[in-house]
Amino acid sequence: MAPDSILIIGGGPAGLEAARLVGDLGAKAVVVEKRDHLGGTPIAENYAALTHGFRDAEEAVDEMIRGVTHNPNVEVRLGSEVVASEGGAGDFKVTIAKGGNGASEVVNAGAVIVATGFQHFDPGRETQMYGYYEYDDVITLADAEAMLKHHKFVKPSNGQAPERVCFIQCVGSRDRQIGNEYCSKVCCGISSKQAIEIRQQLPNSKVFIFYIDMRMYGYWENEIYWPAQEKYHVQYVKGIITEIIRKGDRLLVRGEDTTMGRPMEVPMDVVVLAVGMEPSRGTKDVAKVFGIKQNKYNFIDVPHEALDPTATSVPGVFVAGAAAGPKDLDDSIGMAGAAAAKAVAMVRKLARVSA
Amino acid sequence: MTATAGFIPYDAVNTKSSRKFERQAEYAPEDFHKHVFELEAEGEWIVQRVPDPYVEVMTKFGRKKKIPLELTWHHKSCGQCGHIPGYSTSIFWLNRKLNFKYLDPTDQTSCTAWNYYASATSNAAAQASVAMRNFAAAYETGYYPIIHCGTSYGHYKEVREEMMHHAELRHQVRDVLKKLGKPMVMPEEIVHYSEWVHAVRDRIAAQQKRSFANISVAVHPACHYYKLVQEDAIYDPDIYGGQRTATVSALIVALGAEVRDYSTWFDCCGFGFRHILVQRDFTRSFATRRKIQVMKEEANPDVVITHDTGCVTTLDKSQFVGQAHGLNVGVPVMSDAQFAALAMGAHPYRVCQLHWHSTEYRPLLEKMGIDHEAAWAEFQEDLKTLKSGEKEYLTWEDVG
Repeated sequence: MAPDSILIIGGGPAGLEAARLVGDLGAKAVVVEKRDHLGGTPIAENYAALTHGFRDAEEAVDEMIRGVTHNPNVEVRLGSEVVASEGGAGDFKVTIAKGGNGASEVVNAGAVIVATGFQHFDPGRETQMYGYYEYDDVITLADAEAMLKHHKFVKPSNGQAPERVCFIQCVGSRDRQIGNEYCSKVCCGISSKQAIEIRQQLPNSKVFIFYIDMRMYGYWENEIYWPAQEKYHVQYVKGIITEIIRKGDRLLVRGEDTTMGRPMEVPMDVVVLAVGMEPSRGTKDVAKVFGIKQNKYNFIDVPHEALDPTATSVPGVFVAGAAAGPKDLDDSIGMAGAAAAKAVAMVRKLARVSA
Repeated sequence: MTATAGFIPYDAVNTKSSRKFERQAEYAPEDFHKHVFELEAEGEWIVQRVPDPYVEVMTKFGRKKKIPLELTWHHKSCGQCGHIPGYSTSIFWLNRKLNFKYLDPTDQTSCTAWNYYASATSNAAAQASVAMRNFAAAYETGYYPIIHCGTSYGHYKEVREEMMHHAELRHQVRDVLKKLGKPMVMPEEIVHYSEWVHAVRDRIAAQQKRSFANISVAVHPACHYYKLVQEDAIYDPDIYGGQRTATVSALIVALGAEVRDYSTWFDCCGFGFRHILVQRDFTRSFATRRKIQVMKEEANPDVVITHDTGCVTTLDKSQFVGQAHGLNVGVPVMSDAQFAALAMGAHPYRVCQLHWHSTEYRPLLEKMGIDHEAAWAEFQEDLKTLKSGEKEYLTWEDVG
């Protein structure tokens, strides 16, 4: 008989929500998390506020964690990784290694949910034109998020409050040269949210966003995009930034203002690179362990994305969140719920058939 | 064989990101080696193997590249021979001093890439035919092609991409080569001479005769070396944390000179291909205001070292304009090969031929401990023998 338990790989928002729901549906869930804490990227990378609704990220994710740790049907394995799998839908035997000490266990699961998420694009990998590793004051969205969380948004080189801050959009996304042709979907919203937070925390600062197109999905338009401009006076400049160089103790951002059709040079104190999403190491490793097809960007391939967004190429293995491509939190949580319901339904159906 | 590296620290790659920066082959574009050998197996062409002995170096995403040490066929650069003859002479001189066998062929065809990058002329089949014709010419001699010109080097790598992926282009080129009676040959690696200098930098340092400990250097990495088919350029985690190409900089470090950084290192020298042909004032302004002036203000180097013909020429021969306008310019410019040759004791005029350079270089020679007046007097004596008809040209025996 198929075991009434679901293995969930990844303890970020998608994994937590899937585990909670599996437990609430009365099935058993085992959550495997590589890090030594739950919460995934929002906690590991010190997210300040959620883009949708501006809720404190740590508080929101803590609530999700409690939904799992207080759930009698959910077990958690921290500091652990999935290293091997045998069997198939209804009867997976998955080997989980506990990091460092050589210990391992085999978990019998009827289905698997992959929620291994993404990692931020490393802006030093391809071209060096933005000087991420060259200049202290060129940072990423994640670096900015950590400073905003602690209400101390400063110019890293001297610890002083910056007067002029800009965001450069689409770093590592929508870039055919490096092969990441896709839009990472959340960066426009996060940059605009951070721009508002910077203006809230540093009312004397000037904040600019240099963009190709602003992609403000759904309510981000009215909740973030227009307030950023009308209430917080964030300046959106359509254009392409071609280089950043040092000018005295400031940075000089050079590029083209494509609306005005002319070159521009703008001095800045802090430059935030809106880095996009790439599959995490865990996503790539887990795909290999289960033999799951990956797409050309190495995200988990979803054969029928529009109508069945949580299915993978392997029966019995479901996917939730940014392991399947760029997703915002709303997408991830929605997918997690669907994956949990489908996984539980599948193992129970198999159990009925075998009974 | 593995080269040892000099070191230019760049702590940010370990500390700035939440995860340590590292070069990973999985992010690299497809590995051309696989295709090149597959096409050989299918009978499309012969792959000329890198001859032994070679040095393995690391390229941008951590792959290995074989750099031949000897039996090299020297594909020269048009502008180099015409404007800075000491550049290629220094490369040959280094080969001789390091006891490496090489060939200086006389039947090379110009690559046409300059006009291509200037959007001016030629077509894919013509360009690919020129590249493949030169590869075949090298193969026929048994020597391995090594490209002096950064533009030919970058262009040939683009040609390799085109040839790998377009059967029709291969067909067109095969027809052309057939008329020339030459085989279709693709080298296992396309190698720039500065990669060879990089690979032998420790051997050069071992034979160093002049101390460069007091010499400060600004490095201009050549665009066509590392921005075209970027995954095939040499990188080293010990040089700027693997964030910039290690070619040239690692040599300077190996020779004990000081590499000084400046903010516009990523910029073009100003040559610009189209600009040097049709908008030369722009080139002059760019070279002086965006490169030399910034180097002077931020690094104040004794010399600029680069590794391409166009870059040496543009950075050197544009400075007179800035000087006429009272700009803060006036830094000598030379190639890595000339710099290395000077370190190994080469004659500044007979070998490096610095008298072809425009910007004042004599204070640099003094700082290097070279008596340039005595050297010039020796060179004048050489010229007398040529004038008198006693000799037609100088030989390797004459230059020492």
